Amino acid sequence: MTYQDVKPGEVLLAVDNISLSFGAVRAISDVSFDINKGEIRAIIGPNGAGKTSMLNCINGFYHPQQGTITYKGQKRSAMKPYEAAAQGIARTFQNVALFKGMSTLDNIMTGRNLKMKSGIFSSMLWYGGAQKEELEHRRYVEDIIDFLEIQAIRKTPVGRLPYGLQKRVELGRALAAEPELLLLDEPMAGMNLEEKEDMCRFILDVNDEFGTTICLIEHDMGVVMDISDRVMVLDYGGKIGDGVPAEVRANQQVIDAYLGGGH
Amino acid sequence: MEDMMYELLFFLEVLFSGLLTGTLYSLVALGFVLIFKASGVFNFAQGAMMLFAALSLVGFQEMLGVHWTIAFVLTVALMVVVAWCIEKFVLGKLVNQEGIILFMATIGITFFLDGFGQTIWGSDIKTLDIGLPTGSIDLGGIFVDRLELVAGLTAAALVVSLAIFFNKTKIGRALRAVADDHQAAMSVGISLRTIWIIVWSVAGVVGLVAGIMWGSKLGVQFSLTLLALKALPVLMLGGFTSIPGAIIGGLIIGAGEKLAEIYIGPFVGGAIENWFAYMLAMAFLLVRPQGLFGEKIIERV
Repeated sequence: MTYQDVKPGEVLLAVDNISLSFGAVRAISDVSFDINKGEIRAIIGPNGAGKTSMLNCINGFYHPQQGTITYKGQKRSAMKPYEAAAQGIARTFQNVALFKGMSTLDNIMTGRNLKMKSGIFSSMLWYGGAQKEELEHRRYVEDIIDFLEIQAIRKTPVGRLPYGLQKRVELGRALAAEPELLLLDEPMAGMNLEEKEDMCRFILDVNDEFGTTICLIEHDMGVVMDISDRVMVLDYGGKIGDGVPAEVRANQQVIDAYLGGGH
Repeated sequence: MEDMMYELLFFLEVLFSGLLTGTLYSLVALGFVLIFKASGVFNFAQGAMMLFAALSLVGFQEMLGVHWTIAFVLTVALMVVVAWCIEKFVLGKLVNQEGIILFMATIGITFFLDGFGQTIWGSDIKTLDIGLPTGSIDLGGIFVDRLELVAGLTAAALVVSLAIFFNKTKIGRALRAVADDHQAAMSVGISLRTIWIIVWSVAGVVGLVAGIMWGSKLGVQFSLTLLALKALPVLMLGGFTSIPGAIIGGLIIGAGEKLAEIYIGPFVGGAIENWFAYMLAMAFLLVRPQGLFGEKIIERV
């Protein structure tokens, strides 16, 4: 497989006519959209519209029965999650999926997994090379911890942290992989206003400073319209709107879906 | 005075012998904990793996006439192959199935390994001799079995190295990650396959070490697999997810059953050693079902 480098503004990931069903239940039907490099792309829609299923298709958890996904110019069929990770796709989850028994630091270190090159045996024996590598990656992780302002909880087992901080640690773990495409599944769900503002700032900073492309699912319309470059709207597994925030806001079908009319 | 002194020394001797036997239980329990931690599978085949490993070690020694260290290396390699096959042909096909289904699969693996091992290496009782010391030494008035002492020290060394491996290395971190959350682990690029092969291999090697110790003591024979049953009360006491728990649980059971046999045995007609561990485990289940060091599972509803 050969992946091409994509310049800012060009299409990084294209989803073409994908459909996904679980038995008789259709989660996604015939949806196409693309994500350009460097943009913040939002997916919105009522509950059960297929948003999370879409992210799961992109990072290889689900394999759509029809349609194709093209990433960095390479069409891929059934890609495994770790291959997606190896190709620079990182993600967070709707219901925080952290390693609860491990410290904040260790959680974020797992994000470096693919960047660490030392093999099984050297790592087992913990000899020179592996140790040096571990320390280098540790430095990178400490930078992320500074960036996300979570120095105070470095050693705390994440299971004990409040929800808002857990979401932040999860973002840190995704960032540790230096992703090219970052998928965020409801990064602000269950947060208070202050926490939401912090999270918005981090998302914008990541996009700005590292040029990371972001695709996010979010329910808070104010936030979505504020920070996204383009918004796609799903309803009952189908696409009902796509465009810059102003266009989407004016789209009658979208308004109907959200106000509960039209069905 | 003289009598009390003698009584005390005798007590210590029984206690010490019990503790050392306990480390041998711990070694078997350790294999269970490793696999349970990393994949949530209760591996019924741990005892069979222990027997298979010990049989192979003796088999290689006899067949090739090589030094035991070479046979040891060959057996380790064989256990890695076994781990690979288990992942490839059994567990890999059952991803995302219920725990009970995976448990049933490990029962299948048990029968296969028992039969396969005896088909290749024969079913006679074999003596395993890798030059471990025998007899006993006198430690300030207490007589201690040399073999048990070696077993205790080996178990300690194994536990320390496993602790370092789990806590300090990249793979150890990945193992803990998989134990916590499969999906999240995959999303950061950890391959479940690789982790499972590693953890089953490590469990195989732990089984080999346990098999060497027990095999030197009792001979390599089918009844070794029954020792795996003794690991169950150890796990109930220590908790299924805790490596220190497996060690402490083993020590408590080892010491407990020896002491009970000597001091309570005469009043109830003896043979306490056979059931003491299970009674203790049952008492624990009633009071503290997660074990001493296990994680209490609290569901948010």
